[in-house]
Amino acid sequence: MSYRYDREMTPPPAERASPVAITRFAHVFEVDPALMTEHVLQQVFPNWDTLRLVRSRADHLAWMHRHFAHTVISGEELLDDLD
Amino acid sequence: MTAVALSDPVVGELRRILGEPYVLTGKADRLNRARVPAPFPVHRWAERMPDVVVMPASTEEVAEVVALANRLRIPVVPRDGGTGLTDGAVPLRGGILLDVKRINQIKEIDLVNRTCTVGTGINALKLNEVLAAHDLFYPDDPASYPCSLVGGRIGTSGWSLIGSRYGHTRDLVLSFDHVLPTGKVIHVGDGIGGKITKSSSGYQLKHLFMGHQGTLGVATEATLKLFPKPEAEFSPFWAFEDYDSAYRAVGALARAGVATFAAAVLFDEWKVDYLRRDDEAYIPQPSSVKALVCAALYGYDDEVRAGGRRLMRIARDLGARYLGDEISQGDWAARHDRYATPLHGRTRAGQVVPMSWHCEDASITYANLPAVRLAWHEIAAELRRTSDVFDDWGMFAYTNGSTGADYLTEIDIGIWERRLDDASWAAWVKAKRDLAAVALRHGGSISACHGSCREGEVDLVPEELGGGYDIMLAVKRELDPNNIMNPGKYLLDRAYS
Repeated sequence: MSYRYDREMTPPPAERASPVAITRFAHVFEVDPALMTEHVLQQVFPNWDTLRLVRSRADHLAWMHRHFAHTVISGEELLDDLD
Repeated sequence: MTAVALSDPVVGELRRILGEPYVLTGKADRLNRARVPAPFPVHRWAERMPDVVVMPASTEEVAEVVALANRLRIPVVPRDGGTGLTDGAVPLRGGILLDVKRINQIKEIDLVNRTCTVGTGINALKLNEVLAAHDLFYPDDPASYPCSLVGGRIGTSGWSLIGSRYGHTRDLVLSFDHVLPTGKVIHVGDGIGGKITKSSSGYQLKHLFMGHQGTLGVATEATLKLFPKPEAEFSPFWAFEDYDSAYRAVGALARAGVATFAAAVLFDEWKVDYLRRDDEAYIPQPSSVKALVCAALYGYDDEVRAGGRRLMRIARDLGARYLGDEISQGDWAARHDRYATPLHGRTRAGQVVPMSWHCEDASITYANLPAVRLAWHEIAAELRRTSDVFDDWGMFAYTNGSTGADYLTEIDIGIWERRLDDASWAAWVKAKRDLAAVALRHGGSISACHGSCREGEVDLVPEELGGGYDIMLAVKRELDPNNIMNPGKYLLDRAYS
């Protein structure tokens, strides 16, 4: 988190990820803001809150794995076994 | 609306049975229990309001409430999590809404016979948190896993995401106490019920009292089958360059006979297009990706690894590209909790709009999946041609069982609820009827999971069941002589005409 308020309220510059999506943070995709101008308007989020939401989602998914099984097997490992 | 249900003597009698705090007449209490997550005509919300909400805490209290309602001819609608998509828990004629959430105790965990007995107001996620201390697991896993309740799973005869390994609700619930529409309490199971998993004694009544959408009474206490908590999970996702390749692969995976196989899912081209809009896993995928397949295996580590290698080999030989561990593991974990996903659709001009999710499902044999897919998307396209209210979010096909015979086939339609009016609602109801007709024309069943008692598809239930529908009417008339239990559902008023 930045010490200065304005830095947290200024997102990094957008890079186009697809015709309908952009990315501002690594591996974090957003719907193109140009598509959110009429019926659904974008909310202003501080950068730390955007990243918190993404990490919370990852935490939730990790919790769900632990809830359903003790371990998760890697497909990449199994692919190596096939080769 | 029934005038009698709101009269002071009735409310007073309910308060005598349940206690003051558990009889709710406030508008917010009733509004919050007047709908389910499926879209509905918001401008007609008032038509679905119960007159009073009651929250009993025991089978005896449920029986007293139902007996009172039967005596006074007041409609009763049982409601559990309210997560069903066919309006089973939605009142159509006012009356008493019977919310079972207080009946949520774990009565027994039997480590010797591997069962537990619970109040039907309990949620499977919360139950599994307790069972985990014993390294046990109750594997009933709907998309509403964190919020649906055991009683609702019984009332809808629910479908489980990992049912190809563990069975669905009908297989996992061994027996239950059930309050009939007259207030009489019976115990339902195979034979004597209890913890018996197989009996040939007498009629098999368990299925009769599952999936009735609250029209035959209320389940209050259930005994459930338990399994060891899986040591390992494996959930590979694969990309394909065309639907036909993905279709061949999902069939081969399901037919492989791998003992730990719990599910396989086919995503069609429309679903992939939808996911490319805003799903972090699929936005970066190259345009050559047109269809997807995933599978899930649960069991001991060594057996899951052996089965997993076999499935990886089958998929590779059929032209799949493995999407990697991050996407595979993340997307699978999200499947247990699809109700938490914020949803939005697009206008035809591409603007984002808030939409509700409607999932229209059917059971379709493997051989008929491609044809049903094309016919269903044509129906969705017709809706889309006429209105921005509807958006085609693509189709999934999930294995129903371990042999790959048939699939829960769903088309997801986004609906802009705030724009619904009588005309667009009528168009939607017609589309639902048309979707159901396609399923029947292809030898399928109208619903694998949600039930079929909503406007539109319900019109075709007598056609689907044939002579069996006459038996439904006779059973309803016999068990619910005053038509108080969830009246207006499944066209069962015909039983009284």
